[in-house]
Amino acid sequence: MTELIQQIVDGLGRGGIYALIALGIAVIFGVMHLVNFAHGELITVSAYSAYGLFQAGWDWWLIAPAVILIAGMTSVVIEFLAFRWVRGAPDFTMLMTSFGIHFVVQALFVMYVSANFRQFPRPDWIFNTVKIAGISFEVFDVAVIFFTLLTLIATFWILQKTMFGISLRAAAEDFDAARLMGVRSDRIIRGAFALSGLLAGVAAVFWLMRSGQAGPTAGLTPMLKGVLAALIGGLGSLGGAVLGGVTLGLVEVMLISRLPEGLVGLTDGIVFLLIAFLFVFRPQGFISVRRAERV
Amino acid sequence: MSKELLQSRLITLIGPISIFAVLVLGGLLYASFGGSARDGLITQMLINAIIVLGIQIYVGNTGVLSFGHIGFGAIAGYAFAICAISPTRKNSQIPDAPFGLSEVDLTPFQSVLISILLTVIVAFIIGLGLARSGARSGSVAATVITLALLFVVHEVAKNWIDLTRGGKTGLSFSPLGNVTLQGRGWIYIALLLAMITARLFKETRLGRLAQAAREDDLAARAVGIDPAVQQMVSLLLSVTIVSIGSSLRVFELGSINPRLFFFKFTLLTLTMLIVGGRNSVTGAIVGVVIITAGSEFTRYLAGPSVDMAALDWILRSGLTDIFLGASMLGFMIFKPAGLLGDWELDNWLKKFIPKKETEEREQSRVGKDQIRDLQSLKVEGVVVDFGGFRALDKAEIRATTDEVVGLIGPNGAGKTTLLNVITGVVESNEGALTVNGKSIEGLQPHMIARAGLVRTFQNLRLFHLLSVRENIEVARLASPDAKTRLGTDTIEQLLHLTGLNDLSNRRARELDYGNARRLELARAAAANPLFLLLDEPTSGMSDHESEAMIHQVRSVASLIGAGVVVIDHDLNFITGICDRVYVLDQGRIISTGSPEEISRDEKVRVAYLGGS
Repeated sequence: MTELIQQIVDGLGRGGIYALIALGIAVIFGVMHLVNFAHGELITVSAYSAYGLFQAGWDWWLIAPAVILIAGMTSVVIEFLAFRWVRGAPDFTMLMTSFGIHFVVQALFVMYVSANFRQFPRPDWIFNTVKIAGISFEVFDVAVIFFTLLTLIATFWILQKTMFGISLRAAAEDFDAARLMGVRSDRIIRGAFALSGLLAGVAAVFWLMRSGQAGPTAGLTPMLKGVLAALIGGLGSLGGAVLGGVTLGLVEVMLISRLPEGLVGLTDGIVFLLIAFLFVFRPQGFISVRRAERV
Repeated sequence: MSKELLQSRLITLIGPISIFAVLVLGGLLYASFGGSARDGLITQMLINAIIVLGIQIYVGNTGVLSFGHIGFGAIAGYAFAICAISPTRKNSQIPDAPFGLSEVDLTPFQSVLISILLTVIVAFIIGLGLARSGARSGSVAATVITLALLFVVHEVAKNWIDLTRGGKTGLSFSPLGNVTLQGRGWIYIALLLAMITARLFKETRLGRLAQAAREDDLAARAVGIDPAVQQMVSLLLSVTIVSIGSSLRVFELGSINPRLFFFKFTLLTLTMLIVGGRNSVTGAIVGVVIITAGSEFTRYLAGPSVDMAALDWILRSGLTDIFLGASMLGFMIFKPAGLLGDWELDNWLKKFIPKKETEEREQSRVGKDQIRDLQSLKVEGVVVDFGGFRALDKAEIRATTDEVVGLIGPNGAGKTTLLNVITGVVESNEGALTVNGKSIEGLQPHMIARAGLVRTFQNLRLFHLLSVRENIEVARLASPDAKTRLGTDTIEQLLHLTGLNDLSNRRARELDYGNARRLELARAAAANPLFLLLDEPTSGMSDHESEAMIHQVRSVASLIGAGVVVIDHDLNFITGICDRVYVLDQGRIISTGSPEEISRDEKVRVAYLGGS
């Protein structure tokens, strides 16, 4: 029982990070109908920023907010440089564009930094444990869960209560109608990218605290996990993205702790396989967003 | 196969064969001026061309973006290596291989066959999954499934050390003797095979149907095409070619490791495909040449032999990756169809071959109207609820193949919903749908089309990149049963009746509104339905055009012997064309009768004008 609770907390910790990434992907999908495979590049950029700031002698407490801001700005810049040009393009073009960005950013880091991974120190407290109700948990997991919840509450507050959030949800529902009602599409899309970048930044902070390294492919795994979480939750559904992220985290932890020794290396492979199966039977994900096609 | 068809296929072959000749001769010429490094480069280029052509067959014809083809390549590569490496070498590299594989001793040719077989089996299973997920052009779930395949194969190759020797060292062959570039006949044979397969598949019935579904999934279903079948065939054929290419790649490199068939190679091959134009076989080759040359050039620039201090900030390692990524990104933003779009060399060459067709065409204009036994369509007690809103409330209509039945009503009355129910696009909550007494309840849209109900679309859903003639041709070919298809001469007749014969080689997307509507009509008729279901065929037309449409619809319907059910707002058109009219209001049929009776009905007037 104790073990199960520990695993659940561990899974929620992982899943929280995935949820933040997935939420960002879902926000962009909402306004642009684009699945952003370049979302992981925000984490790559964050990783190098963290590395650079460490070299400059900064501490995690300062690096964390800086990384979040940098991720938010990078997201807006990428939209301005690339995605702006393919708004409303066929799905194939948008998918390919996001992969193109992914490859270009990766190559830029190979070119101007290094193809090798750079290490930076992880905060010293992340492996500490804390006892709650007689069960010991990793401080890190508890912190991730706490800050993820905080971020989610803030995000949903923005979406529900602010003018920007309401316009964004309206645009996600029906972009043309929203425009007719006076929602400024440029501003909404830029805002969505900023929001999604900030969410990726928060996720990046936790991801980097655990990994402690920066490399050209640093964003690949979190991107894939985020896209998968957004997809299993139901693309376009913001609640679904969070649900998908948490589910993915829990499934991973359960698999890792239950798989026989020799198969642990295959965890990701097995997760992919499970997800592929899920799509076969439920391509629309857990929460299906009805997009009635007018015929 | 008719003589004419055979002849046109032979002309088509001129394209791939001449491109093959230019590519191979050019490659050999280039290599003859350089050392063995150039031999290696040309070998690689030709093999990459095979793999890119393989990917083109699937991605080009179906429009589904696949990241999994290099995953299939990895399966094929490993299957090939494990079969073809000599037992002595295997015993030192993978002594614990399962299923006694370390004792297997096959020739490279046998190994290729095994690798194709294995990969095709895996592809079949993946293909079933893709079909279940409703794959269509640009669909995300399908792309993610293929991406998952790439990753799963990579993970397995890295971790199943007994079989693959893991990620660090990989498997290797005993060195291949000294064979000159000219002596590598297997590459040339495989390349020619890949070129011809890819080019001919585009022209086959299955290829064309796949392209139609790529252009518009729903419209393809509406004329009776089942996209899943086309996608599966494309996938298996495409994976076969990719397997051959991948086996050759492993054979030429003399070794395999998991990184060889992963993201980098996926990027390379997809960029080649996209730069040239994914819908074109000629384009695939052009892309391969450009990207190979570009990568080589950037590698040279970034290498030690070029030393320009001023440009040091750009001439450094990673330049090749930037080149690839930027090509992909640049083309997606500025020219998503690639350099050639769907241009093919042989289509261009065909312009110079004189045609002898005029007499035949004149003859077929006479047209023999198809005579059928009287058939009936019955729609009874259909109820559709959208949430709390009852869109249709026990609606019913009947029609027979010798009449034109109109369906009118104010906006929001449920006309299009009724049509959507009949054609299987929307599910009804209650009600019965029968064609000639046979229920079509719950059938998929393409099965309903095959049962004899083919529709047009209010918001125009043509196959945009296909020509006017091809739009009609594809619908004619949609039925899997050749006996139920109309003859080829019907295409000319339909073009003639709808006044589209001068535009027959234009792409559908270039048509103006009126012509697009007439093409919708001709396309629906080409599927040889019992009933044509027309959704606002005159919307957006001038009075003059819609008056002409009365005659066009009647003559098209009588050509194929079909009944017509038509929705429209234009009362002149409805009065002019219909034998009987149903009036729908708030989901209910409130009146029925001849156009004159309807125009005198008080209830109809109230429904349209309000009041009491």
